[in-house]
Amino acid sequence: MTLRKQLYSAAEMEEAIARMANAVAAAFPHPGAECALVGIHQLGVPLAERLRDAIRGITGQAPEFGKLDISMYRDDIGNRNPLPLIRETEIDFDVNDRIIILVDDVLSSGRTIRAALDALTDYGRPRMIRLAVLVDRGEPEYPIRADFVGFTSSLPADRKVAVSFGGDELAPGIYEVDWKK
Amino acid sequence: MQWTKKDLLCLYDLSAEEIEFILDTAAEFKKVSERRVKKVPALRGKTVVNLFVEPSTRTRVSFELAEQRLSADIVNMQAQSSSLLKGETLLDTVRNIEALQVDLVVMRHSAPGAQAFIARNLKCGVVNAGDGAHSHPTQALLDIFTVREKKGRIAGLKVAIIGDILHSRVARSNIWGLLKLGAQVTVAGPATLVPREFEEIGVRVCHNLREAVADADVVNLLRIQHERQTAGFFPSTGEYARFFGINDETLKYMKPDVLIMHPGPINRGVELTGDVADGEHSVILEQVTNGLAIRMAVLYLVAGCVKK
Amino acid sequence: MSEYILKNARVIDPGRNVDSIGDIGVRDGVIEAPEKLHSPEVIDLSGKVLSPGFIDLHVHLRQPGNTQAETIATGTAAAAAGGFTSIVAMPNTTPAADNAGAIEFLRQNAAAQGVVHVLPCGNMTKEGKGQEMSGIGSLKSAGVVALSDDGRCIQDHALMRHVVEYAKSFELPILDHCEDNQLAAGGVMHEGKWSVLLGMRGISGASEELMIARNIILARQIDWQIHMQHVSVRESVKLLRAARAEGIRVTGEATPHHIALTDECIKRYDTNYKMNPPLRSESDRQAVIEGLADGTLTAIATDHAPHTRTAKEVEFDSAPCGIIGLETALPVSYTILVKGGVLTLPQLIRLFTAGPAEILRFKNYDLAVGSVADITVIDPEACWTVDKNTFRSKSRNTPFHGMSVQCRPVLTMVAGKIVHREF
Repeated sequence: MTLRKQLYSAAEMEEAIARMANAVAAAFPHPGAECALVGIHQLGVPLAERLRDAIRGITGQAPEFGKLDISMYRDDIGNRNPLPLIRETEIDFDVNDRIIILVDDVLSSGRTIRAALDALTDYGRPRMIRLAVLVDRGEPEYPIRADFVGFTSSLPADRKVAVSFGGDELAPGIYEVDWKK
Repeated sequence: MQWTKKDLLCLYDLSAEEIEFILDTAAEFKKVSERRVKKVPALRGKTVVNLFVEPSTRTRVSFELAEQRLSADIVNMQAQSSSLLKGETLLDTVRNIEALQVDLVVMRHSAPGAQAFIARNLKCGVVNAGDGAHSHPTQALLDIFTVREKKGRIAGLKVAIIGDILHSRVARSNIWGLLKLGAQVTVAGPATLVPREFEEIGVRVCHNLREAVADADVVNLLRIQHERQTAGFFPSTGEYARFFGINDETLKYMKPDVLIMHPGPINRGVELTGDVADGEHSVILEQVTNGLAIRMAVLYLVAGCVKK
Repeated sequence: MSEYILKNARVIDPGRNVDSIGDIGVRDGVIEAPEKLHSPEVIDLSGKVLSPGFIDLHVHLRQPGNTQAETIATGTAAAAAGGFTSIVAMPNTTPAADNAGAIEFLRQNAAAQGVVHVLPCGNMTKEGKGQEMSGIGSLKSAGVVALSDDGRCIQDHALMRHVVEYAKSFELPILDHCEDNQLAAGGVMHEGKWSVLLGMRGISGASEELMIARNIILARQIDWQIHMQHVSVRESVKLLRAARAEGIRVTGEATPHHIALTDECIKRYDTNYKMNPPLRSESDRQAVIEGLADGTLTAIATDHAPHTRTAKEVEFDSAPCGIIGLETALPVSYTILVKGGVLTLPQLIRLFTAGPAEILRFKNYDLAVGSVADITVIDPEACWTVDKNTFRSKSRNTPFHGMSVQCRPVLTMVAGKIVHREF
């Protein structure tokens, strides 16, 4: 991918995650007992880990933690590109009657979240599902709304927002990039 | 990497990375069958035809269940009830099926290369469920998956395949897959059923059971078929069991953590005794469970490559 | 009354040991001294090679019985395009050419519709079934040049012995498809490393070897000519070499596909590589080439076997055996053998002319004045790509489509009439 410009620094990202953790703690004072964070692969997972650590720092409790790959729930199998490797789904706790907070890096079309909702409900019947995203681009294609948001972004649809936690081509931060052809 | 093939025909055609890709995908699909809702919508709206020109019960049921757990729509066709008996060519039969806008054909046929032949001529995806004595890729994949799950790796393991290698598609597919992933393979059985030509691709050939299995990490037992006896390949199943069957005595000189595998259905008292089949070394039932996961993974991956 | 002078060609005439630049005259279908011609058409053949017409000992014309795949008209047109002036028509038609009436049908049809000489071959046994001798005497009177049960092989040695003895009394050479049915065991490809890897039933090389040994014994005992068709196995070549060294009257032919291809080709399950005898191992292929180089095998014959697309477009096990070969024989053989440095061009031409002529017991098959004007002209420098869609044959079952080859038949003359001309 081609980098166009950096939108937020790593420090600004840390700050935003702290704000989100505070918002979650305010909404759910007993996160250890009631809540579970489920990170959506790929970048939702490291984001969920940082949120979990931040929430533990604030409340002294860590919510349950899970990972979800939504490849098996996509609606575009066979229509688009070749399929990438399915990553690990791990939902080791009981989903029934729990408050699930889905975590993803960027909310754009909303279709990933739609798939995640289908996947999650195949594990049981949560009491409530909330959504935490680091970047909300607004105007999703599906009626999906984020409850805990780090940043909003109003970049046009042909630009891509990329989040990095380090460990790949980019240093930690949030960037505007071109769509890969 | 990404999966780019619209068909799965033979492990000979796959790279080691592609084989590992299927195994990793299957690991995730295995979890689906372990949870409350044993189904995902991955193939929802897609139509799969199970065309079993050579009959089968176990493999067909395994594929059917895999397709159902992927939410696909299924059509079953077997030779007896199909127009092949009326003289329609195989190609015409499959073209007619394709004209019904199906997405995938899972096919078993007694002629080697039949699936490769139709895959060349069709736009929809083809999954080989067995073509004569040539190839049975999903069986080998589930065997390799089972070994990897138990032993953590394939490279450097010693695997012995025992039985009628000459007529076995399970043996051939296992040999290709295991060699690609770096295992050392030995084949053993009666001299009439274990051709020396496998040495030319780096497989050890022997006709003595003890020599074959003494240092094996995995022993895969092939079903011995009665037709081979009547065709003069070996004198009796009793003699086969005596010289090549696995029993408690043979276990004594095998490795303490050896895996005993069998593609099924097992002939208790021939390839192995009942005690061995039910014993601590046997992973035969796990192979069946893993077979479902492998087939879900394979169907998911090839469906992802079939463009409309 | 056509007259031609074919000028400035490199004339290679194995029958008279000629290899020099010269002119050939033709009048009324016969070779004539150029100075005796009155108003000939002059054709300049500078840079081309001219030889006696090529003979193919092994062609399936499919008429009567399978005219969807080929007819006498289209098969002979393919022969002309391939540079052949004479072809021996195998008798496994439907009905079989095991009686005088069938031979008469062939001769009349060939006279009316064929563009090259069609030399009839009669069945050794009734319907080629290997059980009862056919009317060999009547077949001889009807005009057959040889006897064969091609496609099948007489398994009963006592019967084969009687056939050879009887054929000798009518001076008819035997062309035998050497195959022991039990060792062939219903296989579909050569029994070797590749049949084992691909899980296919194999045809053991021993199946051919065994019948070649049988035929050598009978040829020796009876002192008659037995010709082995499509020799494909190393051990077969060895047996023939030893037998010929002893003076036993056995001969052998090789096909262009056994010279060019091996059993590894079958890993793609393309039925254009399925024929009988099957493509063999690389070692066998080399032995066949050595046999052609050292005079053990004295003819190249195509075993031209047309099949319709429908017949061949099936799974490998079910496909009929056979590929066409008339229009690719020369370029494929030249590319592998001459361009490959194994044979000289005159040696190759002998395999298409004097070699087959001798097997058929033709006397003086050459370009001497007075000989029938059967002439083949080739361009040994022409490099081209085989395109099956341009073939004159009705069928397209060839493995050579798309192959880059060298050497092209550019003019074919049958009894003084030009039946193929590219310039």
